[in-house]
Amino acid sequence: MTRPANAAPSVVSPVRRKPRLGSWERALAALLLMQLLFFSLVVPGFFDGVSGLLNMTTNFLPFGLVALGLVPVILTGGIDLSVGSIAGFSAVFMAILWKHFGLSLGAAVPLALLAGALLGSLNGLLITRTRTEPLIITLATSFVFTSITTAMAGADPPSGFPDRFNALGTGALWGVSYQLILFVVLAVVFGLLIARTRFGRSVIMVGYNRDATRYSGINVNATVLGVYVISGLMAALSGVVLAAYYSAVRGDMGDILLLTALTMVVLGGINIFGGEGSVLGAVLAVLILGFLRQGLLIAGFSDMVTTMAIGAILLIAITAKNLLGTPNTFVAQLQARFSRPSPPPPEKVME
Amino acid sequence: MLPIPGSPRVPAASGHQWRTLLESRELILIAATVVVILLAGLINHDFLSGSNLRFMLLNSVVLALVALGQTLVIIAKGIDLSVAPVLGLAAIVSGLLATRQGLPLWSAVLLVLALGAVLGLINGALVSSINIPPIIVTLGTYSLYSGLIFLYSNGDQVNSVPDSYAHFGNGALASWFPLPIPILVLLVIMLAVWLLLGHLPFGRNILAIGNNPAAAHHAGVPVKATLTSAYVITGTLAALAGLIYVCYTGSATATTGTGDHFELQSIATVLIGGTAVAGGRGSVFGTVLGSTFLSVVVTSLVFLHVPAIWYSAGEGLMILLAVTSSSLRRQDTRRAA
Repeated sequence: MTRPANAAPSVVSPVRRKPRLGSWERALAALLLMQLLFFSLVVPGFFDGVSGLLNMTTNFLPFGLVALGLVPVILTGGIDLSVGSIAGFSAVFMAILWKHFGLSLGAAVPLALLAGALLGSLNGLLITRTRTEPLIITLATSFVFTSITTAMAGADPPSGFPDRFNALGTGALWGVSYQLILFVVLAVVFGLLIARTRFGRSVIMVGYNRDATRYSGINVNATVLGVYVISGLMAALSGVVLAAYYSAVRGDMGDILLLTALTMVVLGGINIFGGEGSVLGAVLAVLILGFLRQGLLIAGFSDMVTTMAIGAILLIAITAKNLLGTPNTFVAQLQARFSRPSPPPPEKVME
Repeated sequence: MLPIPGSPRVPAASGHQWRTLLESRELILIAATVVVILLAGLINHDFLSGSNLRFMLLNSVVLALVALGQTLVIIAKGIDLSVAPVLGLAAIVSGLLATRQGLPLWSAVLLVLALGAVLGLINGALVSSINIPPIIVTLGTYSLYSGLIFLYSNGDQVNSVPDSYAHFGNGALASWFPLPIPILVLLVIMLAVWLLLGHLPFGRNILAIGNNPAAAHHAGVPVKATLTSAYVITGTLAALAGLIYVCYTGSATATTGTGDHFELQSIATVLIGGTAVAGGRGSVFGTVLGSTFLSVVVTSLVFLHVPAIWYSAGEGLMILLAVTSSSLRRQDTRRAA
């Protein structure tokens, strides 16, 4: 599960030092436009004005929220398999606080988000203290969280939230859904966080070269802890939005989130081994996969054909990326690793 | 996935050292299994009945087969998430063909093995030839294969299987020799994988790739072919597990495999069995013992009237325990060195 180095080449291709900046994002944007055009022309009922298009996003933006939260984690070279269980936990926790403890949702929602952040920090602490692969730790904690959630939810989990809360999932402000506003704001925040802040730079450096990051005086453990807190927080937010969307909660409601969100991040061009990728790519991938699903569903395909299409798109896109974009032969990879200039200008990081 | 910060990777310890480490994990698992059986037996005497012991063994076979394949790819620094839909596809295809067309058992076995091999080959080719990280490849094929299940079954499900199938899933080998057939299958496969991994060049190549792919490549290991074969074997074993699943339970639905999260379960089993997720070392017997241990623990929880919702928490805690204990041990040895 470390860096891939499994090709045995016979020909050494010329090494391209650095993939052209933003080329993947441009390709994704073109794909998104082509897809929207195609569905609008071919599938009757898909294009129902711009506002219809925007409203459609409420069906998949909870996935996008989880994907945004996964971006920093994967940029550090980690992974968080517990996002689905954290989403379910927070949603059920919020509903229980509201129903059985008489808290207003205005108080229960922040507490649920806090709970998500705490579960995320538990992941981060376990990963940094035991120096164990995130894959294992988050797999294990997801099992534990799932049990606790199921126990909390009981046989008859609360439902029927007040309309003002449900608006978060289905309502709109001047024709733009609250979900979309939330997603856009958070996408901008994440974009700035990754590209413009000291923390974001540390995140990318940790994923790019952990040892060098440590030697340059950055607190690697704090950075790693931070990304899991963020991912837990975003998973919890997604759970809350899902609760508002369905106006109900279930212990297993987060289960569907993980694989799709992970697919979105990977399709967004974020290197699963860390150190490379942009929030913009992830956002475009969220829209591509989301509209693809909606388009196929409206065209009358079953949910499962849609799932297949998403899997196929992921494989085709990554294959194309590997074959066309980056050096893919083994020796070329090695050379690229040694000849790559270190990406962040040191004076900015060291301050 | 996380290189240990601050220190270069410890080179693969000499064969002797890690062999003793593995043996200790296997001994711990055996001891833990015996302790759990005795404790549960003290509290509830029915637990020690022959039929319950047989049930616990049988119940672990499906997971053990999937986990054996998973062991191979994890040792080679890979991972296979698509085992769950492969298992489900094999179960529903063989089950539906058996009930609708009366497919004889032997051809079902061949069909299922071929199906698993082809699905595994797709994984392996994508991983080794196009150099896509295994977790992404199998994430994609997970969706693809799950879709195939629905396309093929069209929502139908298997509710019962012909007698020959049920015998294959539950029956004894012969009336005078009451060994259930699935356990025999598991024993044969376990020995085969053990031979493959520990005593044949293929196994050495897998271990070499898991320890250091670059070094393995330069030492002349056929990295692509070895990796591809590992995924083919994993797919084949997952498909065989699917056939045994449908024979044993007599039912299969479109969410068989994926609904039970066999991909995560098998990874958990491999980790509990003492295989390192960073690759390079692993234990075939540990994996099988791990799945037996899990089955014993789950069954004892049933006997002790612990609600089923806590099983997965127990499993998660066991993974944490298994992994952190070995990681602490690793830190100790480093400090001593």
